[in-house]
Amino acid sequence: MLEATDLTKSYNGHLALDRLNLAVRPGEIFCLLGANGAGKTTTINLFLNFIRPSSGSARIKGLDVVEHPLETKRHLAYIPEQVNLYRNLTGLENLAYFAALAGHREHATAGFLELLAQAGLTEEAARKRVSTYSKGMRQKVGIAIAAAKQAEVLLLDEPTSGLDPKASNEFSELLVRLRDRGVAVLMATHDLFRAKETGTRVGIMKRGRMVALLDTAEVGHADLERIYLDHMHD
Amino acid sequence: MILRIARKEFVELARDGRFRASAAVVGILMVGALAVGWEGWRDISREHARAEADSRERFEGQGEKNPHSAAHYGLHLFKPKSSLAFVDPGVDPYTGISVFVEAHRRNEVDYRPARDATALERFGDLTAASVLQVLLPLVIIFLAFPAVAGEREQGTLRQVLSLGVRPRDLLLGKAIGLAAAMGIIVLPAVVVGAVLLSRVGDDAGAAWPRAAALAAGYLLYLAMFLAVSLFASIRAKSGRSALVALLGFWILNTMVAPRLATDLARRLHPTPSALEFASAIDREIREGVDGHDPQDERIRRLEEELLDRYDVDFVEDLPINFQGVALQAGEDHGNAVFDRHYDALWSTFDHQDAARSALGFLAPTLAIRSLSMGLAGTDAVEHRAFAEAAEAHRRELVRLLNDDLATNGADLGFMYQAGPELWGQMPRFRFEPPPVAGTIARLGPSWLALGLWTIVAAAAAAWSARTLRID
Amino acid sequence: MLARIMRHEARVLAADRSLWALAGLLAAVVAYGALNGASWAETRRAALEAAAAEEAARFDELRRRLGSPGDAIGVGALEVGRSSGARYAAMPPGLLAALVVGQSDLLPSYVKVTTDGRQSLDGADEIENPTHLLTGRFDLGFVIVVLYPLAILALSFDLLSAEKERGTLALVLSQPVSLRQVVLGKVLLRGLLVVGLAVAISMVGLAVGGGASGPGVLARAGLWMAVVAAYGAFWFALAVAVNAMGRGSSANALILAGIWLALVAVVPALVNVAVKAVHPVPSRAELVQALREASDEAQAEGSRLKARYFEDHPELAGGDVDADEYAVQALAVQEAVEASVRDIQGRFEAQLARQQAMVDRLRFLSPAIVTVEALQDVAGTGAARARHFAGQVEAFHESYRAFFRPRILRAEPIGPKDLDAIPAFTFREEPLPGVAGRVALGLAGLVLPAVLVGAVGRKALGRYPIVG
Repeated sequence: MLEATDLTKSYNGHLALDRLNLAVRPGEIFCLLGANGAGKTTTINLFLNFIRPSSGSARIKGLDVVEHPLETKRHLAYIPEQVNLYRNLTGLENLAYFAALAGHREHATAGFLELLAQAGLTEEAARKRVSTYSKGMRQKVGIAIAAAKQAEVLLLDEPTSGLDPKASNEFSELLVRLRDRGVAVLMATHDLFRAKETGTRVGIMKRGRMVALLDTAEVGHADLERIYLDHMHD
Repeated sequence: MILRIARKEFVELARDGRFRASAAVVGILMVGALAVGWEGWRDISREHARAEADSRERFEGQGEKNPHSAAHYGLHLFKPKSSLAFVDPGVDPYTGISVFVEAHRRNEVDYRPARDATALERFGDLTAASVLQVLLPLVIIFLAFPAVAGEREQGTLRQVLSLGVRPRDLLLGKAIGLAAAMGIIVLPAVVVGAVLLSRVGDDAGAAWPRAAALAAGYLLYLAMFLAVSLFASIRAKSGRSALVALLGFWILNTMVAPRLATDLARRLHPTPSALEFASAIDREIREGVDGHDPQDERIRRLEEELLDRYDVDFVEDLPINFQGVALQAGEDHGNAVFDRHYDALWSTFDHQDAARSALGFLAPTLAIRSLSMGLAGTDAVEHRAFAEAAEAHRRELVRLLNDDLATNGADLGFMYQAGPELWGQMPRFRFEPPPVAGTIARLGPSWLALGLWTIVAAAAAAWSARTLRID
Repeated sequence: MLARIMRHEARVLAADRSLWALAGLLAAVVAYGALNGASWAETRRAALEAAAAEEAARFDELRRRLGSPGDAIGVGALEVGRSSGARYAAMPPGLLAALVVGQSDLLPSYVKVTTDGRQSLDGADEIENPTHLLTGRFDLGFVIVVLYPLAILALSFDLLSAEKERGTLALVLSQPVSLRQVVLGKVLLRGLLVVGLAVAISMVGLAVGGGASGPGVLARAGLWMAVVAAYGAFWFALAVAVNAMGRGSSANALILAGIWLALVAVVPALVNVAVKAVHPVPSRAELVQALREASDEAQAEGSRLKARYFEDHPELAGGDVDADEYAVQALAVQEAVEASVRDIQGRFEAQLARQQAMVDRLRFLSPAIVTVEALQDVAGTGAARARHFAGQVEAFHESYRAFFRPRILRAEPIGPKDLDAIPAFTFREEPLPGVAGRVALGLAGLVLPAVLVGAVGRKALGRYPIVG
């Protein structure tokens, strides 16, 4: 579903991403771990075709994202660390716009409210301007946008950073539900605990390289933390 | 401490490529404008002096004829360029350059240079004044809008203030640093302007105080823009909104206000049409004494009066030439009519300009515009001074010629002839621009508007520094 | 897709108070400009009517005099030709004159034509406070050339940078839309809004202001709209190109304000300086001197001149001996003076024509110049129509003098029958195709840079840094 082949990105000789090879299958949550600047966000931006790879390729459903920028985006949804929305519009209006951009017109207002409710946003909140929202509420709209799209691929860039534990937990439950529906999820995160809980596989990145690839079922919490810190030390 | 901040601000600017580029562009434009303006000034001054000398020569060389015919022959006067017109040509393109001086008629100052130009003239000339009034404020805004807002966004403001710097000192330091940077931009133009002014010639002596007052006016104006920019930088939510607000202020001042004021002034005090004006004068003059028409009722009355006074029975026995007296009587009547109408017209213009001055309290660019033109000797009032001086000269000339006819031409009537020695005795026209003290005083409202704006803006900036938001 | 983006943009803009403020402001200045233009056109029309009334009253008076027994044989032709029978040559305001004041406050729109010399036509200036002339009017021409680009730039200087700074751009582009589509949608919506507002209000102003009906009014209104739209397109293209460079909103605002000032104020002033330096118009002082010299010489030649005059005009040297000596002398002098200053007068016209030709070439350096000239052309308040008028006035002056000359020389008085035969002036409007041709060239000078800048912007969008 998601596939990176020797994916490389360099900025003026500095390697931000070094020959990354990665495949995420449907129904799988792949967590990218690593320090700031390790290349996690670069990977996600490359899949989004926001930046061009220096070499190698990123594919979604077998399509190269550079050659098919629009076609590939039909299949993916993206939730950034900060879900930034149009502040002067309501959550509902924001969702309607993004759904329209995604090409889904069939939803009526009721449908959108339903989606927002599923993401955990009450109707009253949905009809308020986004400028009054907390970060968690904006994140919920982001999830609803992704859900409305019925995307097969989900790209998440530190989606739970800055959320309180309860919101963070709700978010994880949502992810699991999507995974069970067969969505392929690529998530960059600092949260080892969540990565272990919800992830199927974990990749540890360092200076643009994937230095370890683990199956979460095979490691315990403590092991994951130890392995992670080991890699960070040298 | 303040100087330390000023130095940092200055060094930072001096290293900024954008500052260097804009300084170069503005500096070159200003020096170039001065050079072009000065060349034009020199050419026109020479031309006018030459033409006026030529006109005088022709007047003196007209040979034997009746003095009244000489008055009809008349001569052309040319408006001398004021010394500082190369800095601010003001309304010069829109006022005539030459007036024909003759018996009976007050002529308009003719030939507006703008009529001999393309529509581009209406965009305004590139002059030192327009650079100072329009371009430099924009540069100040560009440089000053991030002064506080930018540091706030970068987070350096938090650090600086955590060191115990008083916000007001910070602000003052920044203002001095920015002012020094502006000084660098303006310096070449000031030097060039001073050198050119020293080569102006005879009038340079009178021009220096005007130039000094002009410099003071522009200093106030630019300081005002600096203070407003700093104020906006302190108060605005972000650098972006400070910039947008300042650009709005600049556009309103330099682009919108002048035209708005013009139309408002015209609406409040409509200008009469040329036709209306001329036919009113014509009508009233025809109702008065016609010196040429012996059938005229009033002439007959004048005749009787004179016969009584000299106690003679016939005009031919008068010890004076009656034609000369009659002509002068007609002239006096005409002059009264001219005075009445021109005074009304000028007072309309005065009201219009007063409305403009009043609006200067809302938009300081209006104030500096009138100040600059007034001090450069190129505003409508200075033009009026020339027109009046020319008219006074005309009256004197015509009166002297009529007097000669009256006193020396007794019993010869229109047969009397005078010669070149009389033409040579006629006074020479020399236009003395109004004294500088009077000009400065007349521009009082503009000074006041500019001074108030500067003080209020500086006070507002200083006051808002006390409640400086850190982020 | 485009429609969806536009709908959304409309919603986002509508939710923002600053848009309403801006639109309100634009509407207000456009309406005020239209109002001012209309009242100026009204003033001009009133001045022409006053002139016509004055002429009619003078002719009535003349007719009355001719009808009275004392003057039954008629009034001297010289007197009639020089004053009581003078005709006004008037150029009525054009169909769209209410839109642009242009040069109409500087170049006279009526001239009193008498049998006096050619230079009597030059002196007609309208009275005006010179500061007004210097400043210019708050008309639609000013609003469109100067303020309308500012409204466009205010709405689009942060077209992309704002979305990037707010962080919404990444989310938008994670949807299956391209950056170019998004930009196009945004620009189209803003374009419809601003251009629509400017065009609609100016047309309403024109309709309300009155005086705008006649053949060709629709064509002219169409040209007006095309120029306004093309000029707007240029500024939108510029805003897109600057946004595509990927800088922040403040940097964009600075760059765009700088370009705006350069194109609207600095370049025109520089072109003006260049034009005047390359083709300087001779000094009027020189003309004044030349006229003086010529008339002195002509006077001095006296009777010789008169003899030569009759040699040149054998048809006038009729058998009548009672030709008015003074009148013949005056005519002879007049003709001699005109002949000797024709050269210098021609130099003025030639230099001005060269200046205009140079402006016509250099105007493509700034869309503002192109627009000013085009709008003045459409409204009929520019230099072209004034020249067209001046040419007609000169021809009319000739035919007017041709009517009086023989009568003056033969000392033939003007009788009641002759009164209606005195030539009267009728203005022939500039032919529309000529105007349209000039405006079309100007339009090309707007569309081409718009397309060029737009293409550069489009290309730069391909490299737009969506993140970082």
